[in-house]
Amino acid sequence: MAKLKALYYINQFYAGIGGEDKADVGLQILKEKKGPALGIEKFWNDEMEVVQVIACGDNFVNNNKKYESILPEIDKILEKIKPDIFIAGPAFNAGRYGVACAKITDYVRKKGIPSVTSMYYENPAVKMYVKDNYIIQTPETAAGMRKALPKLAKFALKLAKDEKILASRFEGYFPRGYRYNEYHEKTGAERVVDILLRKLNNKPYRTEVPLRGFEIVVPAKAIKDKKEIKAALITTGGLVPMGNPDKLKQAFSVTYGKYNIEGIDTVEKGKYESIHGGYDTTIADDNPNRLIPLDAARQLEKEGIIKNLYSDFFSTCGIGTNVENSKDIGYRMAVELKEAGVNAAFLTST
Amino acid sequence: MKLNRQYYNVKDAKWAEKTSYNNGILYISKEELKKEIVPYTKNIKNVDFEIVKPGENTRIIHVLDTIQPMYKIKGESKQYSGYFGEPIKTGDGTTNLLSGFTVMESAPLPWETGSASSGLLYPRDAIMDMQGPISGFTPFSETINLVIIYDLEEGKSSAEYDDDIRLCGLKVSEFLASKTVDFDPDRVEEFSIDEINPELPNVVLVWQCQNQGVYANTYLYGHPIDNLVPTLLHPNEMLDGCVVSGNYVWPAFKVPTYLHVNHPIILELYKKHGKELNFRGVIFSRSHNPSNWHKRRSAEFCIKLAQYLNTDGLVMAWEGGGNAAVDGMLTIQGAEKRGIKASTITFEFGGKDGTEGILLVDDVPEADAVITGGSIEKTYTLPVVDKVVGGDVLRLNKEMGGYFPPSHESITFDTTTQLYLSGNQSGHSKLFAEEY
Repeated sequence: MAKLKALYYINQFYAGIGGEDKADVGLQILKEKKGPALGIEKFWNDEMEVVQVIACGDNFVNNNKKYESILPEIDKILEKIKPDIFIAGPAFNAGRYGVACAKITDYVRKKGIPSVTSMYYENPAVKMYVKDNYIIQTPETAAGMRKALPKLAKFALKLAKDEKILASRFEGYFPRGYRYNEYHEKTGAERVVDILLRKLNNKPYRTEVPLRGFEIVVPAKAIKDKKEIKAALITTGGLVPMGNPDKLKQAFSVTYGKYNIEGIDTVEKGKYESIHGGYDTTIADDNPNRLIPLDAARQLEKEGIIKNLYSDFFSTCGIGTNVENSKDIGYRMAVELKEAGVNAAFLTST
Repeated sequence: MKLNRQYYNVKDAKWAEKTSYNNGILYISKEELKKEIVPYTKNIKNVDFEIVKPGENTRIIHVLDTIQPMYKIKGESKQYSGYFGEPIKTGDGTTNLLSGFTVMESAPLPWETGSASSGLLYPRDAIMDMQGPISGFTPFSETINLVIIYDLEEGKSSAEYDDDIRLCGLKVSEFLASKTVDFDPDRVEEFSIDEINPELPNVVLVWQCQNQGVYANTYLYGHPIDNLVPTLLHPNEMLDGCVVSGNYVWPAFKVPTYLHVNHPIILELYKKHGKELNFRGVIFSRSHNPSNWHKRRSAEFCIKLAQYLNTDGLVMAWEGGGNAAVDGMLTIQGAEKRGIKASTITFEFGGKDGTEGILLVDDVPEADAVITGGSIEKTYTLPVVDKVVGGDVLRLNKEMGGYFPPSHESITFDTTTQLYLSGNQSGHSKLFAEEY
């Protein structure tokens, strides 16, 4: 019988192209197997092989425009190889590599090809992409490769063979949110006492019903020298140029607007308006600086208290927006600002 | 306080001229049972009895309460103290139990419009199957059940029906269990928490029960818990039947007397007592407190009692739905804030695949060890059965004007609220929501 075919994705580092300095390289079709793609086959008992390894720089994939530019290439590779499985990573706790793996895994899965990636639970990509993707859990760093790879290999083979995928706790992928009634090995009474004892004995424990969870967001470290502040202005108060050129939604936002403020010292009445659907916007419209405090921020800039302001302000409407969309909007804002070297932001809400 | 439970296995139950227990066989005389309960049938026209055994393709409907038959042979009090006598503190001495056997009550309590059972608090049909997809929801698919089928007089009050039904059930249980007195038990178990190991953490169960009036009630030493502020029980009091159920409104969420007496969490804490923890007691409270003020006071009192016991950890468990969850979560929050660690078990929502809406009606950030008792928002199709005990028709959807399908046929439910004990609130079953 012919072997099953795996297409494997790794980043510039595992591909041997380079480290951080090569994080901007575009899509590479490798001629040989590298990194985990090399080590994984021995777990497949000759039932499956890696037929192609592709790689990309982490920064490249994390830039939306650049990422979109490689999708046609990926389509072509998929068309040519017709893989039985797509595998990416493991990315461990590397944030950008994790997002790259998960993003491409998500894309390939949507093309109808079974796909899997692998990383550490704190990798931000887990929360962003876990809903419909199989992400196998790994230790925190690449030192755990020997632990991670057999698990990933076993699961990938199972998925490629279209075998029944068992529950998260048996297969080792992060729960995707799907919950079905079944019978446990232990009664509820046994488990509710077990978990209490784990808490009391300071052993790791995991709630079976996830908390609705207000995540604690750890604030960024304070900037010691104010003169190093490169700040952006962001509002959830819905300020846009008159006429709402991007047609931002008045509520239930899914995206944000970005408006250039280079060369202006104030957001003038009559040129900007708030389109927010949840409060009386009269006062905001009367002086838009009260949503985007450009007047005051320019003053700080002039006095040399901060270094400078970012070229654009971001705006969205914070009303009825679900947590997932809020996180997505916030993440995209943060990525853009980080790439531009912005290290602080003034956030105003209404 | 020491309690010896003597277990008498019931391997089979048979009809006979005279009631007796011999070599694991319980012989039951219907006539004798009827004679025993005569004083308690003022509002009952007639009763009949059926024996239902594991493995039968049988459905039991209109299930009200299920009772652990037991008989106290040594000690100051009777079993189920407060009934048929004074509310003498129970929980020590020796009690004989019929093991693997229950007394179950079944009656289609009238759907009234002008009384306590109107509105949402009406008696809903509790349905259980001895076989098939829902049999794992109750422990009683694995026990031999003597079902008492009540034919009620017309025009009596909810409270009158309720009292008679319960007293008959308890009397039948007592009578049957009393037949063990001349025999040696199959097994004896001693229950005591007198000895404490200072090296081990102190743990309590906070057991919060439903009280919303007749048909939605719990009894402590024979009296409803309307005015109860949280109180302390020795676990042996519960094992001896100080808490009795009178709760018929939500089949999924109610906890039968059998499970108060054989409370799975109490038995689990006992199993670990002296080995992994010190079981310090049961804090017994009322759920469905009417206002936020009452809820807060109840939670605070539970925590106060836990603090008096030097509690390190508590298991919070409750009977009932969303209202009760708020009481439970407030208790968890208050406990954790005062350095007492907490875990809990509850049913969940989440829709067909677990992704719709919220999983819990209420939660607090401190509730970080929540065990799932399974989701009530799942679809189950009950198969056709050979036999139904309790009635020919199901009574469903009172709110929508009523729906009365034949009880032996296949029927699909899109939630488990009608299915007896599917909420798994005392942790009796292995039902849970598996993550994919």
